Amino acid sequence: MTAVERPEARPVDTQRPVPVPDELSAPFWAAAARHELTLARCSDCGTLTHPPDLVCDACGSTSPRFAATPVDGRGVVRSWTVVRQSFLPGFADLVPFVLVDVQLVDPALAGQPDVRLVGRLLDGVDAPLSAGAAVRVAFEQLRPDLAVPAFELAAS
Amino acid sequence: MSGRFRARDQVAIVGYAQSPVTRHADRSLGALTVETARAAIADAGLEADQVDGFVTATLFPTSGAHAVVDGVSVVSADWLAARLNPNPRYAAGFSGLGQIPGSMALAVNAIASGAADHVVVHRALHNPRGSYHATSSTEFAGPMQWTAPQGFFGPLAMIALTYNEYVQRYGASREALAEVVVEARKNGARLPWSYWADRPLTREQYLAEPMLDDPISRFDCDIPIDGVAAFVLTSAERARDLPHRPVHVSGYATGAPPTRRLPAHWPLDDLVSAGATMAERLWASAGMGLDEIDLVQVYDGFSPLVYLWLEALGRCPVGEGHRYVRDGGIDSDRPGADPVLLSGGSLGNGRMHGVPQLLECYLQVSGRAGDRQRPDVTTALSCHSSPHLGGALVYSAEAG
Ligand SMILES: [Zn+2]
Repeated sequence: MTAVERPEARPVDTQRPVPVPDELSAPFWAAAARHELTLARCSDCGTLTHPPDLVCDACGSTSPRFAATPVDGRGVVRSWTVVRQSFLPGFADLVPFVLVDVQLVDPALAGQPDVRLVGRLLDGVDAPLSAGAAVRVAFEQLRPDLAVPAFELAAS
Repeated sequence: MSGRFRARDQVAIVGYAQSPVTRHADRSLGALTVETARAAIADAGLEADQVDGFVTATLFPTSGAHAVVDGVSVVSADWLAARLNPNPRYAAGFSGLGQIPGSMALAVNAIASGAADHVVVHRALHNPRGSYHATSSTEFAGPMQWTAPQGFFGPLAMIALTYNEYVQRYGASREALAEVVVEARKNGARLPWSYWADRPLTREQYLAEPMLDDPISRFDCDIPIDGVAAFVLTSAERARDLPHRPVHVSGYATGAPPTRRLPAHWPLDDLVSAGATMAERLWASAGMGLDEIDLVQVYDGFSPLVYLWLEALGRCPVGEGHRYVRDGGIDSDRPGADPVLLSGGSLGNGRMHGVPQLLECYLQVSGRAGDRQRPDVTTALSCHSSPHLGGALVYSAEAG
């Protein structure tokens, strides 16, 4: 996926919390730093999941050897909220902001359990939003080497 | 496998105590718990040295950076036992989210199996100084790395996403939720121990309150408090010789989420599907159905959970909870209504988790509810937490 150039994509001076990658999550965060959304594919059954876990939810494999697999980042909004008071550091200047609950719709997910992500909607609190609205992933660059997934409305 | 609880109605609640519910108690949570447990044991007509079992759940439901210190911010079964009757035959803690059904189940099973004769089940909730949920953490490892960096953090955003999904799908209004919150606060205002004693909320006050995480406002959330409740359980056989009318535990069930999700992510469909199977297990365990329950007390730590419990239990079809509560549907003062928040709930007591629901069922079935006593309550049901991660208990006046 090509990174969309937008002001939010440039590194910002922020105290926002950052992830501490571990063995299971490091491939996800490495891909995110390249502005690429990946899901974890079980090497035994091929099911895509997020986040990866110690045992595959789909086939029960105790050695799922998850492979970070790029997806197209498209999704539909299942729910949202406007956060007006954040309990986290680094968000005081960002409230109010919209959080969206997104079901990913990459064709690779057809016929398998749904995968849902929650992230910020970067279009602002006045953007028209409804259940089923089309979104695509975007990335917020928190540090030169760290980007976290978010979403923006997609033209349908 | 019938799912029938073999110890149905063989274990009974025989006494209780409820501390005052305050923003900050004038003594430690541990001291308050010892006092409350002693009062419950005395209420049951027992002595501390007869209590050979202690059960609790120590969940400290904050997303903030508050220390978990036994006796200060939580009170474990071991901590209480050491101060009431050291080296009991049985001490256990429930670690899941449906803490009241979970810990009551541990106590009932212990008595039914003979592992203990008299068990104190307590729940001690603490309100730390400073912001309850805020954190200054700037690094998140483990499961929270998938949500906190993205700005998804804390239970308000959690329930706001679930409830907005409900609002969008079923057209629930803020006016309907006002009925829930006003009803909880009305009943809570009548309870002498409640933080909200003599302080009901009007519909206008509710509707004027600004949003925190749309569509959730402050009044949709229970307020953090210091408070302790304790219940004494024993066998139905021993209960006959004790001073109060025993209330037997007929069965229990807890929910099982269908899908592993992000931390604190509660998609509406997960709650609905797991709630339905939870209810099936509950009826099988208790050997009775909803139509045989005289009094249902639903959980309301966040007001929308009232709809989700009503629907999970089958009081109304899925998506109809917001209509069920309209026009006095749950008004405890209206004859023929379904007073599911008679306990005041967490919204009307303070953050006592599932205690108010359990307590109201006990008081009504044992005939000890005083001014609030309703006629002919011989069976009751209490809920706690969400239908997919919490659970419910069924009670009966009849011994098994
Ligand atoms: Zn697998």
